[in-house]
Amino acid sequence: MTEDKYTERVNKEGIGILTLKNPPQNYLMEPEFISRQVLDEWIRADELKGLVIAGAGRHFSGGARLEDIFSMAEAEAPMEVEMEKGKNLLSCIRELNIPVIAAINGVCFGGGLEIALACHIRFCTENALFAFPESNHGLMPGLGGTVMLGERLPFPESLKMILGGDMINAEEALSMKIVDSIIKASDPVDYSLGFLKKITEGRSLIIIHYVMQALKNAKELPPEDALKEETRMFAELARQEAKNRSRRPEV
Amino acid sequence: MTTGYKTISFTLTNGIGHVVLNQPPGNAMTVGFFSEFNRLVDDLKTMKELKAIVISGSGRHYSSGAELDGLIGLVNNEEMRYEGNEEMLIMNSRSFLFLEETEIPVISAIRGVCIGSAFELALFSHFRFCGEDAVFGLPETTFNLMPGIGGISRMAARCGSAKAIELVLKGSTFGAEEALKYQLVDRIVPKRRVVEFALAFAAKIKEDYRKQKTPLYIQKIHSDDLQLN
Repeated sequence: MTEDKYTERVNKEGIGILTLKNPPQNYLMEPEFISRQVLDEWIRADELKGLVIAGAGRHFSGGARLEDIFSMAEAEAPMEVEMEKGKNLLSCIRELNIPVIAAINGVCFGGGLEIALACHIRFCTENALFAFPESNHGLMPGLGGTVMLGERLPFPESLKMILGGDMINAEEALSMKIVDSIIKASDPVDYSLGFLKKITEGRSLIIIHYVMQALKNAKELPPEDALKEETRMFAELARQEAKNRSRRPEV
Repeated sequence: MTTGYKTISFTLTNGIGHVVLNQPPGNAMTVGFFSEFNRLVDDLKTMKELKAIVISGSGRHYSSGAELDGLIGLVNNEEMRYEGNEEMLIMNSRSFLFLEETEIPVISAIRGVCIGSAFELALFSHFRFCGEDAVFGLPETTFNLMPGIGGISRMAARCGSAKAIELVLKGSTFGAEEALKYQLVDRIVPKRRVVEFALAFAAKIKEDYRKQKTPLYIQKIHSDDLQLN
């Protein structure tokens, strides 16, 4: 286990668990809640096959505290620089080439919801609550929440949630497809860990990387280029597999 | 009429082209199949009277997908340049992409197994109807490979990337009900009537589809015409 300032990192048999640790609400004390470099190096050095992001205790994260936002706004250093670091961290999480699950219980508000939206898969417990409460305080989501929610929801729903600042529960979040599944288990971390172990068991790191890359390409490249890339990756795996087979004795 | 295929049969009736994957019992997609399929797609592009395409398998199955040994042999053939072999794989995906991008409706009628590259082919169709006995899956990762003809992205477009990550990495197979739940098929039809249903559906929508292929129109046929009995 490694403790950073407001997070804790554990490697459980090749699956990483990153816990937001500032209980009870796990407020984010700075937009870059863990150094992007630290996260990146950890994943690479430990050859992690998957990552779970969760909150310590009964909540995922309440996001940033209002007083911290206002004092950041009044500080001498431009606020945009800090926000940019936070956004870069979230895009780094989105771009990770291993599956990342947000294991959500309790509150998942503001910056917390933005972290969850940056993950590839969202599981939540029945008691989870979601909101972008920023507009109630004369603000708006600042770490890309408007964009990431907009990608998942039809425009009117996204507008209602961001401008209305309403809170939604797990059932609503599931029907709006903000979360992928509601889990019955009381511990979302255990469940997510088990899920990642199951889907990555027996899969080499390279296959996991390529599958994630293919999904990313589909969003970012023109269709023909994405298909070409997929073929290239497939051919590379096939060549490797052919080598392995020729080394393996015939059964 | 397009003839001369060994692994595919093709008939054109009243503007509806019926492509049958025809290498019983499993209609495996061999290297020979892909080269014929690419040729067929080139032919389809020139058929002015074509208004809809229905794809099904001969006999009890849609298709068991690519013959992995053939594909591995192909990319590993030391005598041929790697790029050339990859070029052939890229041609396969171009043919699949044509089916997705064409202005006329493409419908897959699925019975039995629809696995690997065959499932990828079905995912490039605009509509998928299946029998209650259908079995789906992209099992490539269980053979230390990955789906190579656009299956990952097309699956994610239908069922969302979270579910796609799970189904592709796990590589396990699943049945018709599950496929419907994940929106990977549009409707389950009694298995003996799948092809008949797909042909009737093609006949019903062929004129309108080209003119008004808008999201709203597609939504409408999903809610109205899929109720066709």
